[in-house]
Amino acid sequence: MLVLLSLAILTGLPWQAQRMEASDKQAQLIADTLWVEQTIRFQLDRNEETVGLIAADIMRGQLSPKQFIERTRPLAGNSREISRLMWMDPSGNAVAASDGINISLLQLPPSTQQAAAQAAKTHLPRYSQPESPDNTDGALQIDYWLPMFADDHYIGLLGITYQVASLLDDMVPWWFAQDNQMDLLDDDDSVVAQREAGGPGRGVYTHRRVLDLPGLNLILRTNSVKAAPKLMPNLLVGTVIVLSLGLAWTLWALSRDVNRRLAVEGALREQVEFRTAMENSLVTGMRARDLEGRLTYVNPAFCAMVGLSAEQLLGRLPPMPYWAAEALGEYQKRLAEISAGTMTPQGFETTFQRADGTRFPVLIFEAELRDETGAHTGWMGSILDISERRQAEELSYLQREKLQSSARLASMGEIASTLAHELNQPLAAISSYATGALNLLNDSATTNSPRDALLKPVLEKAAAQAQRAGQIIRSVHAFVKQREPARLPLPIRTVIDTVQPLITLQAQPSFVKVTIVIAPDLPPVLADRVLIEQVILNLTRNAIESMQQVPPARRQLRIDIAAGMTVAHHSAVTVTITDQGHGIPDDIAERLYSPFFSTKAEGMGMGLNICRTVIEFHGGTLTHSVNPTGGAIFRFALPAIDLTASTLTSEATSEAGMINPRVTGTHSTT
Amino acid sequence: MLHIVDDEEVIRDSLVWLAQSRNIPAVAHASAEDFLSACEQLQFDPGGDCVLLDIRMPQQSGGALFDVMAERKLTDRLPVIFLTGHGDVPMAVDSLKRGAFDFFEKPFNDNKLMDRVEEALASSRKAGESAAVQVRLTNLSAREREVLQLILAGKMNKVIADQLGISMRTVEVHRAHIFDKMNVKTAVELAGLLK
Repeated sequence: MLVLLSLAILTGLPWQAQRMEASDKQAQLIADTLWVEQTIRFQLDRNEETVGLIAADIMRGQLSPKQFIERTRPLAGNSREISRLMWMDPSGNAVAASDGINISLLQLPPSTQQAAAQAAKTHLPRYSQPESPDNTDGALQIDYWLPMFADDHYIGLLGITYQVASLLDDMVPWWFAQDNQMDLLDDDDSVVAQREAGGPGRGVYTHRRVLDLPGLNLILRTNSVKAAPKLMPNLLVGTVIVLSLGLAWTLWALSRDVNRRLAVEGALREQVEFRTAMENSLVTGMRARDLEGRLTYVNPAFCAMVGLSAEQLLGRLPPMPYWAAEALGEYQKRLAEISAGTMTPQGFETTFQRADGTRFPVLIFEAELRDETGAHTGWMGSILDISERRQAEELSYLQREKLQSSARLASMGEIASTLAHELNQPLAAISSYATGALNLLNDSATTNSPRDALLKPVLEKAAAQAQRAGQIIRSVHAFVKQREPARLPLPIRTVIDTVQPLITLQAQPSFVKVTIVIAPDLPPVLADRVLIEQVILNLTRNAIESMQQVPPARRQLRIDIAAGMTVAHHSAVTVTITDQGHGIPDDIAERLYSPFFSTKAEGMGMGLNICRTVIEFHGGTLTHSVNPTGGAIFRFALPAIDLTASTLTSEATSEAGMINPRVTGTHSTT
Repeated sequence: MLHIVDDEEVIRDSLVWLAQSRNIPAVAHASAEDFLSACEQLQFDPGGDCVLLDIRMPQQSGGALFDVMAERKLTDRLPVIFLTGHGDVPMAVDSLKRGAFDFFEKPFNDNKLMDRVEEALASSRKAGESAAVQVRLTNLSAREREVLQLILAGKMNKVIADQLGISMRTVEVHRAHIFDKMNVKTAVELAGLLK
């Protein structure tokens, strides 16, 4: 709209200006033309007047022809348009002439004669039609004839001869002629005189003015040499256009600026929204403080953390409401450190207090806040609530403790068991030897030598002591092994889930990659969860330790859980632990499961022995083989529960109880 | 013959000594593999056989050896008594279910073990005898088997002769052949054998 208007103005304005200029020029021309006409008429009138005065003198008879010549000569000389003045007597003969050459009326052109006759007849002065007399070179002349009467008696004529051309040449000022072409036209519009000092007229500004003389109608036509005004001929219009263009540019620039400003504002708003959303979504608490320690900003996470609203916090000076009383000294010290710029960028742990008084551990990172000039204005702190992490750490620690203690218990039980087994062998042998000897003595009772009588009680005592030692071992064993492993149906996956983080923990320091593959749809196994966990952890620890000297790329531990068979051809779940470590040399393989045999300096040599005992207790087997790609493979199978036979679990338990009363006894207490 | 299978030498030696003190012939094998190779040329003892088997041995375990024996149907003529340490009980129970004679947990009472060994020997002997009787029965002719049935039914020679339509003399010859082939002296002894 504005643009259309501007365009309309821009096109209309020059046009209007042109119109105005044109009409101005036209009016000017008209005025000038009128003025020229007036000038010509005035000059002619003056000449007529002069001639009238002369005629009056003649009519009074006070002027002789000689005097006439004397009076008129300067007149003709001064007025260049006047070619000559002449005095004719009533018959048309020349009385006198300003140039002294008397030419009779009859020698003059017919139109002059006609005009003279007309003047004499009407008693009124009259101009003749332009005509060129014979003696001139075709230059047109007009004559003014003034009839003279003395007492109503016609006494002659006074005539003024004008060169038509000189009417324009001499009577029109040069400055006007400079700008305009001027023509004198007769009634037929034929040009009788023309002046074009400033070149031909352009035909743009013209004016016609009738020069009404008695007996003669001449038309003065002016034709300005000026061309039609150009569209932008003048400075004003140019300035206006330039200003308009400037205005348009300013408008455009302004709109561009506004658009840019809007875009920037939009981006800023978006940025602010983004930041707000980010701040709101953060679980990390953020707070800003100025140099005095006054809180200038808190985010929602921080508010939620300490249980206070932003209004309650902003503008507060230390001590803060979330400071725990017992840690005040620590805060002050920290604040001093921060102010001194000696704080650590790693962050520090401390305790905060919630609105309800509960304490929680936090980890704080501080960073300097600077304004746009780079001046230090305060501190921005991010606060992490690490109570969950602490809890997780404590849980993990407890878990490890529990596992280790149960491992210790299991180990003690197994040591006792192994000791019992190892001691039982020689004790059994002693007992058998003694019993055999006694049997022989009893058999040969008939001979009954006195030596036999001496030997017999001693052998009986030896056998009894061997039996006693066996019983002691058994009771100690039973005492230590308070917790008889309890086998319960459980999915092997739960065992793996428990040990997986611990295996990862074991593997991390050695950069061992752990892969665990569990076949789908495995039946549950009947197992003591803690013991099986210990076996797996023991085997994985051995595997990880065996890989410490191999290149890191080869440090891969793989655990495969799959369906399989036990020795007794029951369905089972096999656990295979494969490493790529140093493997097991043949000489070591022979003694691998022997108690108190270890390849490790600090090893007790019970690990694999216990593992095998545990697995055999579960009715499975622990075997090892050589990994074709280097390293060792340990595999054990645990009997699986056939889900189709639902009674098996109770069967197994009752069997164990029936055959081994000791087991049943401990069972009932667990 | 008592076969002792144990990886521990002192156990083998003491058990052999113990068995001999009870007048039980005994032989020791250091491993399951040794015993199995001995089984290849094994002559059953008329006095009966028994195997004392340690469950835990380094290579092939007692349990595995028992599985092989059960597969070869040797456990009737070679009853197995397991010797177990602590923790081997479930495997022993499993073996018992599959036909082991008994199991003893260390430390055991030696003479009770020997008593049980003697029972196992008797069981083996009996299994061996019944196996022998079956072999002898297969040596009888069809007519002799008919006569045997009638003798076991307590029929007199004359009644048998009438029933079979043969002479008394022929019956007596058959009877003599039967007694000879079945290795008995009297009809009572024969009845006892085929009871």
